[in-house]
Amino acid sequence: MSAIEVDRLSHVYSGAEGGVPALQDISLSVEPGKFVVIVGPSGCGKTSLLMMLAGLRHQSSGTILCDGRPITAPDPSRVGVVFQEASLFPWLTSLDNTEFPLALRGTPRAERRRRAEEMLNLVGLKGFGARYPHELSGGMKQRVSIARGLVQDPPVLLMDEPFAALDEQTRMTMGHELLRIWSKTRKTVVFITHSLTEAVYLADEVLVMSPRPGRIIDRITIDLPRPRTYEMMATDTFGKLRERIWQQIRKPE
Amino acid sequence: MSQFQLVSTRLTLFAAFLAAWAILPKVGILDPRLLPPLGDVLAMLGKQIVRAQVQEAIGVTALEVVVAFLIAVPLGTVIGVAAAESDYFGQIFKPMLFYVFSVPKSIFLPMFILTFGIGFPQKVAYAAFSTIFIVIMSASAAVESVKADHVLVARSCGATRSQILTRIYVPSMMPVLLETLRISMIFNFTGVMIAEMYASRTGIGHLISNWGENYQMPELFSGIVLLSAVAISFNEAVRLLEGRVSRWRT
Repeated sequence: MSAIEVDRLSHVYSGAEGGVPALQDISLSVEPGKFVVIVGPSGCGKTSLLMMLAGLRHQSSGTILCDGRPITAPDPSRVGVVFQEASLFPWLTSLDNTEFPLALRGTPRAERRRRAEEMLNLVGLKGFGARYPHELSGGMKQRVSIARGLVQDPPVLLMDEPFAALDEQTRMTMGHELLRIWSKTRKTVVFITHSLTEAVYLADEVLVMSPRPGRIIDRITIDLPRPRTYEMMATDTFGKLRERIWQQIRKPE
Repeated sequence: MSQFQLVSTRLTLFAAFLAAWAILPKVGILDPRLLPPLGDVLAMLGKQIVRAQVQEAIGVTALEVVVAFLIAVPLGTVIGVAAAESDYFGQIFKPMLFYVFSVPKSIFLPMFILTFGIGFPQKVAYAAFSTIFIVIMSASAAVESVKADHVLVARSCGATRSQILTRIYVPSMMPVLLETLRISMIFNFTGVMIAEMYASRTGIGHLISNWGENYQMPELFSGIVLLSAVAISFNEAVRLLEGRVSRWRT
């Protein structure tokens, strides 16, 4: 069974002059444990698609199955979400931020402490639990976000341009760290990015979306060996894959 | 500048101010008939504060301030939150609230006297009226300080509506709401004082106004010192609390 199964999903925004088609006939299926990256031009609806996968927005038509059951509302036990920067609650410490989803469910205090600390260790933030977000660097904040996304142990992790606000160096490190965490937890990841290098470096498969209305116009299997290394970025294969995605994106309609 | 230097400079300046107040009228550089020396004022304060008439006036004023505060702050907060949360309500009422906010409230005081007569209800009503607009504006601003991103994250974590209210809205709004509390007390206190000084039979404002008219300067200044001390204490207490809950706002 697929971890995620999207079937003929379309979305139309209601506007002043009738409906604006945003997503058109999207079907995709992600095998458990796979790392799928979605790229596409700005405004192609990739964030909307992710919001729908997370149950945060409703599509006009089509279905989304996760673990065989439809997604109609947020369900953090099946889908964890990591957003762009600044999504931590500034009034909570890293530890409290991490255990936030558990606190909502009324998990006993000791249990959620234990889980949250485990997650902070996993993302490499052992000993930073008492820090507030403003005391953390951009990369560390995103590590806490990842810990929060994983704390309920969902099979699927959705990531919406999580490293877009980071500087190039931190971004590379975080990509590498994410792969390490992913290989340890074997989650199914759907990752959105603008960076083609990041896409090729992280993905098992890259889905390319067209400008609005967003459709999936290409699916590219990235058969680079794992674990991925920085050196691979300089290889021919890497360059060709990156080039192929670029051709798709800049292709005029 | 280090914290120590900063504090000691402030204390030195304050001490210099008190010393000047104590000495300058005494040696005749300032006219003691207009500004009695600090020592005389404090002695007068000690004398006044034990008088039954003054104590009763303090009680009346305090009650007026508290009741007006308890009306204006919750009511204003509810209206302000509603104006910010509901597009419909906000679009209809916000411009009106802005207009009324800009008008000095004291020009309505005669209306309050005609409606309520001179007494406790008139003082409370006027003070609440002069406070509620700032509460409404600040409460709206507090709601707008809640980030849409945070609400989205909470929803993705499975938060219910009431959990979003208690775990996102309340902590996000708390620093601004405490600031509102502080500022509304300033407006509220001012409202009560103006109402008492304008027309009243009791209250500290009434005493101060009488002392001024009768040229009883030590009495007048003892009242000023007392009220200033109370106002500053309240303000600082809330500010301390503000500092505690908004430690994350840096």
